[in-house]
Amino acid sequence: MAEMTLYHGEPNGPSLTVLAALAETGLDAELVAIDLAAGERHSGSVPHGVATEMSVEGEGPVLAVGGEAMADSVFLAQYLDERAGARLQPTDAHARWEMEMWCRQTIERVAPAAAFLGNRAHTTPRLAAMPDAEFDTILDSIASEDLRKRWTDTRAGNFPDAQEADSRSKIVQGVERIETRLGDGRDWLMGDFSIADLESFAWLAGMEDIVPEAFEGKARAAAWIERMRARPSVAQALNQATSDDPRQSWAPGPEINRWG
Amino acid sequence: MSQVTLYHWEPNANSGKPMLALAEKGVAFNSHYIDMLQFDQHKPEYLAVNPQGTIPAMTHGDRVLTESTAIMEYVDNAFDGPELMPADPRDRWRIRWWMKFMDQWLAPSFSMIGWSMFVGPSVRQRDPAELEAAIERIPLPERRVAWRKAIHGSFSAEEMAESQRRVGIGIGMLEEELAKRAWLASDQYSLADVNGFNLAYAIPLSQPELSNDEKTPHLLEWLRKIYERPATRQTWAMGRTDMVKRVAILEREPA
Ligand SMILES: N[C@@H](CCC(=O)N[C@@H](CS)C(=O)NCC(=O)O)C(=O)O
Repeated sequence: MAEMTLYHGEPNGPSLTVLAALAETGLDAELVAIDLAAGERHSGSVPHGVATEMSVEGEGPVLAVGGEAMADSVFLAQYLDERAGARLQPTDAHARWEMEMWCRQTIERVAPAAAFLGNRAHTTPRLAAMPDAEFDTILDSIASEDLRKRWTDTRAGNFPDAQEADSRSKIVQGVERIETRLGDGRDWLMGDFSIADLESFAWLAGMEDIVPEAFEGKARAAAWIERMRARPSVAQALNQATSDDPRQSWAPGPEINRWG
Repeated sequence: MSQVTLYHWEPNANSGKPMLALAEKGVAFNSHYIDMLQFDQHKPEYLAVNPQGTIPAMTHGDRVLTESTAIMEYVDNAFDGPELMPADPRDRWRIRWWMKFMDQWLAPSFSMIGWSMFVGPSVRQRDPAELEAAIERIPLPERRVAWRKAIHGSFSAEEMAESQRRVGIGIGMLEEELAKRAWLASDQYSLADVNGFNLAYAIPLSQPELSNDEKTPHLLEWLRKIYERPATRQTWAMGRTDMVKRVAILEREPA
């Protein structure tokens, strides 16, 4: 089997999903920490290719395997799981469809909203304080024009009010969906622990401070968050943090749907 | 009676994905044609199946499935027949990457152009009050916005230019990727090809400057290869409008 290197950001968002999935599978990979909000993914020291440059996810971890630079957290988690022998995905076709639907909704609705709010709170001040020349070097290294625009918008603090309101409501709905799903007393979203738990937790963990109302009175979701944090793979991923609070680490992420 | 019913419009875009996947698997299904331009997808009979009011939807026994790409993966997993996903994990990752890229980045741009040039003009001349009432019945707010823009032709020049930019980039990416392997994203005919064909079959016709035998030979060869497959013929024969005739550009010259 090919050797792997995982270039990851702080354990938050997509990097958290993949770090924890790796720990779940027990596969061996060299870990290289990079600063996503400093544009290090584009710096030349990280392998790149069409999948990293044009990833819908925006800034996220890169898994290098056999000369190929792979991206997109849910699919990286599926890759690791399938390479190790399937434990993080249901095998029944319908249960599998449910997991894929769940992840797709998380990717399409929760992730862009969380990235919008997380970057607004934490990345804008950092980029605004950066000298122009340094920022321009980052921009020049980014191949995708629309990702470049999300970087300039983030630095300029260009976050339209309507999108902010919509993003907050998507986070509220995302937590509600989890609360409802856990309504029958199950521990994990798909019954057995799966990639759906990882991806949902990874994007929502950083929202507790920013959209506290989403979590108010959601006892089941709160208990699920505690179970997630206590899970050894997640704890191991969180241990990779080099900052005090990785939930404050964001970088320009997926865009908000431009055409429904 | 088959256990499977598919609610679909023309073989095209999202509807065409499960149609073609079912045909490739050899799964017989009851076809339930939803005329999107008559707003069949917002009528109570259909909302009882899919309350979101979007197509396609599939029922298998008493289960309802939605979301075209996820339906295709279900079809591949649930039924016998040729495997539409390779076994190699890295190939599977690449196929999923391409399907997401097409579904969420490239297809919306094609769709915006299609809705502005085709969907809008085909319904625009109807009674405005009737159209407004039809829009009010749409369950998803983002689809209401889409229909309003299409009917009133109110796409901004900026968003249309951005869509055209993405279409240009996407065509270039497909050409480059198809030069690497026999099929899109792997060496085996897969769901990425089924997905991609539904997105791309009309490109040589609608974007002749960007896609032709000189500029994108691999893309054209790939489309022709898929068009030749019996499952594709069978699926495109299910179309009811002139839209399906766009595929004729892929006929090979008689040798
Ligand atoms: N992501 C969904 C999208 C479904 C969707 O929006 N379909 C369009 C047609 S391609 C639709 O139902 N439009 C009807 C409407 O907007 O009224 C899928 O892939 O199935």
